[in-house]
Order: sequence, then structure tokens, then C-alpha cells
Amino acid sequence: MLALTRKVGERIVIGDDIVVTIVGVKGDSIRITVDAPKEVKIYRGEIYDAIAAENKQAAAPSDLSELDNLKGLRLKK
Amino acid sequence: MKIKSTRFGQLDVEEGQILHFPNGIPGFLDEKDFVHIPHEVGSPFSFLQSTTEANLSFLLVEPFAFINDYEFVLEDKVAKELELSQENPPQVFLIATVKEKVTDMTVNLLAPLIMNGVKRIGRQVILDKPEYSIRHKLIPEATSPTEIAKGGL
Repeated sequence: MLALTRKVGERIVIGDDIVVTIVGVKGDSIRITVDAPKEVKIYRGEIYDAIAAENKQAAAPSDLSELDNLKGLRLKK
Repeated sequence: MKIKSTRFGQLDVEEGQILHFPNGIPGFLDEKDFVHIPHEVGSPFSFLQSTTEANLSFLLVEPFAFINDYEFVLEDKVAKELELSQENPPQVFLIATVKEKVTDMTVNLLAPLIMNGVKRIGRQVILDKPEYSIRHKLIPEATSPTEIAKGGL
């Protein structure tokens, strides 16, 4: 893993087509911009973590004996 | 091939029925093979059972049966990875979380499962839609048990 220090206005270039720019620092918040090709997925780390956590919740054993009552449920169009 | 499932007991599944998730599922990255099990004919629910972990099964919901304007653009990269095409259109499912009552279940709108039912591959995608909740209540609070029994929302 690479760790480096940047100043406001400085950039990090990743590969040929990703540029990360530090635009500002305010207290413990850092504002950055990421320039990357459209097909590169970028999300905040906590979104991925939240989805993994929700999947774990979803996989926890639950009582689905009443699911049969809902099988005909549909949105009214 | 025999599969052990806590929810369904022992299942006998043809190799061709296995669904591959080459990237695993966030939280379960080592689980790559699942079986998709329908609930009942006409039901918007189904299950995804791991082939290796008896305890691991997800309840899935067909979004379009419940959520009026659920929509997103599938990235070309994902469509290509899942070998989707006009002949092999994507199947979309939401993972449901049931904590106590089934009627209180929530679904993850932000990260649907996209599957190619013909090529038997799938993945969970994270949409670029901050307005979509990870815990969307499937059945609105105001829906009465009578309405549920009648099958309307």
C-alpha cells in the first residue's frame, strides 16, 4: 500500500486515466475530486460496508412461515 | 449434485441449475455458487441457497411486483460480464431482510442482484442512486391485513 502526503490543490494520478485532486481541507474533512472513466465504479467505502452488513442481516435465520400469505401480493396498477 | 440446506433440507440439483456469482456477494465473497429456488407458482418471492453453506440462503423479491418506478441503467461493463443481450435479458431481484414479522421485511433497493438465467451467472451491483434505500420497507405501514389477504398494496 502506498501512503503519501498531498497539499490542497495537488493531485494523484492513478494509471493513465484516473486523477484524484485534493480541493480542500476543513477540520477533519477532506474534499477531493476524482476524474475517472465512466466505467470505473467509485463509491464511498461505507456504502460497500453497509451492503455487506445488510447482506449478513438478510442471511440471518428468520421465520418465514407466513410468507405463503404474501404470495399473491402485487402492486395495484 | 446433493446440496444441504438448513431451510430446505437436502436438495438434489442438476449441475446446470447452479448459478455462478464469480465475485461472490458482499459479506460472502467466498460464496460463488447458488441455486435459485422459486417460492410458489406466481409468487414474487424466491430463494437463493448457497451450494456449500447449508445455513446461507437469501429471500429474494421481484422488484417490479412491488415498486412502481424502480429503474436503473445497467452499466455496459456489467452487461458484458453477465453476457446479457436482447436474447438473454437480465433478471432483477432484491435481497430481503426479515427481522421479526414477514410483513415488516425490508429490501435492498440500492444493490439489486442481476442474473442471466440462461448463462447462469449473476452479481450484486451497487447502483449510483443515493435516493435508493438499503432498507426499504416492502409493504407500506398503512397496508391492512385484509388488503394483504386480497393481494393488493
